[in-house]
Amino acid sequence: MRKFLCIIMLALPLGAGAQNLTYWPDPTWRVPENAAAQPNPLTDRPELAGGGRKLFLRNCAECHGEDGTGKTKKHSANLQLPAIQIQSDGALFWKITNGNTGRGMPSFSKLPEPERWQIVMYLRQLKPLAAAR
Amino acid sequence: MKLFIRCLLLLAAMKCLAQESPYFVTYDHHMEEPGNLDVEISATTDVPRMGQRFFGAPWTEFEYGVTANWTTEFYLEGQSTYGDSTVFTGWRWENRYRPLKRLHLFNPVLYLEYENINEASRILKEVEGDAPDLSSPNSILRSEQDHELEAKLILSTDSHNWNFAENFIVAKNFSQSEGVEFGYSLGAFRPLATIASGKNCRFCRENFSAGAEFYGGLGSTQGFVLSNTAHYAAPVFAWLLTENSTLRFSPGFGLTHESAPVLFRIGYSYEIQDFKSTVAHLFGARR
Repeated sequence: MRKFLCIIMLALPLGAGAQNLTYWPDPTWRVPENAAAQPNPLTDRPELAGGGRKLFLRNCAECHGEDGTGKTKKHSANLQLPAIQIQSDGALFWKITNGNTGRGMPSFSKLPEPERWQIVMYLRQLKPLAAAR
Repeated sequence: MKLFIRCLLLLAAMKCLAQESPYFVTYDHHMEEPGNLDVEISATTDVPRMGQRFFGAPWTEFEYGVTANWTTEFYLEGQSTYGDSTVFTGWRWENRYRPLKRLHLFNPVLYLEYENINEASRILKEVEGDAPDLSSPNSILRSEQDHELEAKLILSTDSHNWNFAENFIVAKNFSQSEGVEFGYSLGAFRPLATIASGKNCRFCRENFSAGAEFYGGLGSTQGFVLSNTAHYAAPVFAWLLTENSTLRFSPGFGLTHESAPVLFRIGYSYEIQDFKSTVAHLFGARR
């Protein structure tokens, strides 16, 4: 039993290494007000979130993880944290579009605009972490 | 042997993706994602004019994202002329740097390339100065070695699901007294569909993009005479074959007598995610 507990104790920090629970937003990465106020034009088509998931796995999961919890090694955002989920659709769209190259986040303006909005739709479906509640 | 097997296993386990622009000559402002390696095999062939011979010029690119705003690329190239010979024509090393953090109407990228090639090079990855010699035999051309430094100002915009890119080229060959040569490249493309379906399909319109590019030489400081320059108009197509590979194709049409009448380009690229960590893991680092 003691051995089992030891293994659990050792495994916990290793698991945390895969998820970035310590993510702290970049205060200099500010979204212009008019961009943040932009509504998602696809909100009345929730079926498109499936395409958003596909795009997320193709373009974002490498750094943010398949469940969006981020990776400590990549210093990438845990997208399930309230600090991210509290942001408006327009703000998330702007951040996907512009990137934050100083912190390693590329610009994804190469994706068509509707596809970027689809990713925003999918981000809203990520379940919040128990630790973040 | 053990190391080789480990390498193979790791390569098989690598996650990959690819979503490349269809351009062959024009560069846009999108950089390789940090830590990713894009391996591309491409070839240029032509329909020769009277007195010229059919050639095929394959090249391999290794494109690596050093940071989100710095991409480095290494090329190896060769050439085979029908009824003549097959020769290795040299290597190139290029770097692209995007200085601005945010997107603007025009997004500048600074490009610097060193080329160690010979005059038999036919990949026509860019066209600058006067038109290349497509008539002389390889035995003569390969003996003329070029050490060339090439700079580009890349301006690119994404607007209404289109990409528009303009490249201005300045090149100096240190091996020959050609002066400073100039060239240009312009391109535009868009995906055929702008909404992604939820299913994994190969023939959906969202996996295809199409556009056109125009490129050519603008003479040199020894004479801005456009009559000796080559210019091409080329439709471009890209197909996202799988999550990790893209196929590109472009027929280019020569617009002047100095141009080849038709150029065909084909390229297959394979992108490997998180290449840096995978290699580090190979040499004992923990993931």
